Amino acid sequence: MPPTTSRLPGPAAEIATRLRTLLEDARPGWPRRALYALASLPFGALYLALYAGLVGSVVALIYGVGVLLILLVLATTRGFAGLERRMARDLLGVPLPDGERVRDRRGVVQKLRRLVLAADTWRALGWLGARVLMGLATLATLLFGGFGFAYLGWGADWNALTALPLFALMALDVVLTLAVVDLLVRLAAAVAPRLLGTAPEQRIAALQQSTRRLADRNRLARDLHDTIGHALTASLLQATAARRTLTPTDDRPVQPDFARQALGHIETNTRAALAELDRALSVLRAEDGSGDPGAFAPPSLADLHDLLAGLRDGGLPVALVVDGETDDVPAGIQELVYRVVQEGTTNVLRHAGTPVTVVQVARSRDTLVVRVRNEHTGQPDSRPGPGGGRGLAGLRERAAVVGGTLTAGPTPSGGFDLVAGLPLPGAA
Amino acid sequence: MTELRLLLVDDDVLVRSGLRVILESEPDMTVVGEAGTGREALTVAAETDPDVVLMDVRMPDLDGIAATAELVARDPRRPRVLVLTTFEDDDYLFRSLQAGASGFALKRSDPDELVDAIRVVARGTSLVLPDLTRRLIASHAPSRARGAAALPELTGREADVLRLVAGGLSNAEIATELYLSRETVKTHVSSVLLKLGARDRTQAVIAAYESGFMTA
Repeated sequence: MPPTTSRLPGPAAEIATRLRTLLEDARPGWPRRALYALASLPFGALYLALYAGLVGSVVALIYGVGVLLILLVLATTRGFAGLERRMARDLLGVPLPDGERVRDRRGVVQKLRRLVLAADTWRALGWLGARVLMGLATLATLLFGGFGFAYLGWGADWNALTALPLFALMALDVVLTLAVVDLLVRLAAAVAPRLLGTAPEQRIAALQQSTRRLADRNRLARDLHDTIGHALTASLLQATAARRTLTPTDDRPVQPDFARQALGHIETNTRAALAELDRALSVLRAEDGSGDPGAFAPPSLADLHDLLAGLRDGGLPVALVVDGETDDVPAGIQELVYRVVQEGTTNVLRHAGTPVTVVQVARSRDTLVVRVRNEHTGQPDSRPGPGGGRGLAGLRERAAVVGGTLTAGPTPSGGFDLVAGLPLPGAA
Repeated sequence: MTELRLLLVDDDVLVRSGLRVILESEPDMTVVGEAGTGREALTVAAETDPDVVLMDVRMPDLDGIAATAELVARDPRRPRVLVLTTFEDDDYLFRSLQAGASGFALKRSDPDELVDAIRVVARGTSLVLPDLTRRLIASHAPSRARGAAALPELTGREADVLRLVAGGLSNAEIATELYLSRETVKTHVSSVLLKLGARDRTQAVIAAYESGFMTA
């Protein structure tokens, strides 16, 4: 529209625009948004108390009894973050996934470690702080707006001359108050995904897990295709052919020999297909629970090449050095080596970026040593100290089962080194 | 009825022996050879000169797609290739059609359907599994052939015929649709194939989609 046609004077235009925006914003969800704004008053007060508790327990820490209090406050924070997620989801329609539950971690140490170290906890604390501020701002806005309204309504000098402007001012007061409260709600909706959403670490883990599951599933599909699909197709064709040979026509007599042979083939094929089906189903069942889907066709040393090729495609400069004959290494050990390399290289990507990395597999007469070592990258390596994280703990247990060891820790040059020494059976 | 000479190519001997019994029980079909790999198929095809090759896709040595391409490169007119698959794997199927196969059939299909498919491939008057084939080509061809050459000049009638061929219609159906005699339709189809340089109607359909003449 050209500016000259019908343009209202400045303030009136502004009011009109604001009114229009307000009306447009009065979507079906506005009562929920209003509820959310009002809820920030009591919740803000509650969270303020929580903060006070945190400060109190830090002070108490000095006297040595604050540790438990801090843990309590952090646990409460995470609990309220769950509630906040639900409120933001239900009242504001912000898509937020459920947070991780510390409760689901195994072992008290794991629970506590997660509680204190997870970025989630501190982001949740930040969010509660934001809600305190939002509560204060909402309160201030409502008080200010309310006072203004009351002053205009009862304190001002109403007469025929002032009635209209005063009335307009009261309307403006209401509109402005609502607009500011609405703005606060919008701000909360915009910030919520940052502080209550999925942490990057969790997203990476979920991505890796789904990739692994997809790969397992594809492998399973291919295996089913090759084994059961093939066996059933052959059986079907043999059965069809056998039926034909048993149905004589004018120029073709019954051929019982072929039919007998075909039935033998069908029997063998079907038995093999059922065995494969059994294996495939056990894998699928294991996928539901905590079983290892890799059990169907455990990865071997030969699969290392594919694994590393995938990582190279992902940008990690990684080399593989194999010393000694590895053909006769038992399948169980081969799989463990594969898992160590998988975990080690994944950790490099996760914690150090894409430094030069060397994977070494060295076989002596009675041991197999696998090593994943990366150079320093300048990027601070955020790995937990010499012990290593959860994945490494699992591998260390598996190494111990076969009588081996697994050590992990930073190198003097600022890189990281993961070494597993696995004894080979039959060695004295 | 002239006898159809068939070559069976599959790495599973049980699949071959089953197919042989089923197909030989048809009065107009003879199995003239069997092969267990794509490379073997090329040798046996040269020795036996079959009309139709029933080709498995996944085989050791040389797979069915490469073997089909090689057969077509040797002689664009014969043999025709019917690809046999265990599962409907779109990508494999489209690639085998692109390599020059005239059609595909599932190994698990009813024997009568399989026999029909072989006759259709041999005659070339219609597509095998017209709906499936058309959908497969329509969904795969456009994305793969950016900048493909435009179709050569077709007369109005020829363009009509090509559109219906690509729609999966047989010669008889096209004759009814366009109020033409079957002989006339046959002539039009032949000249379309000639202009497109296509060995059969399946290849003509692929060309129609890849050139953008037909859109998905």
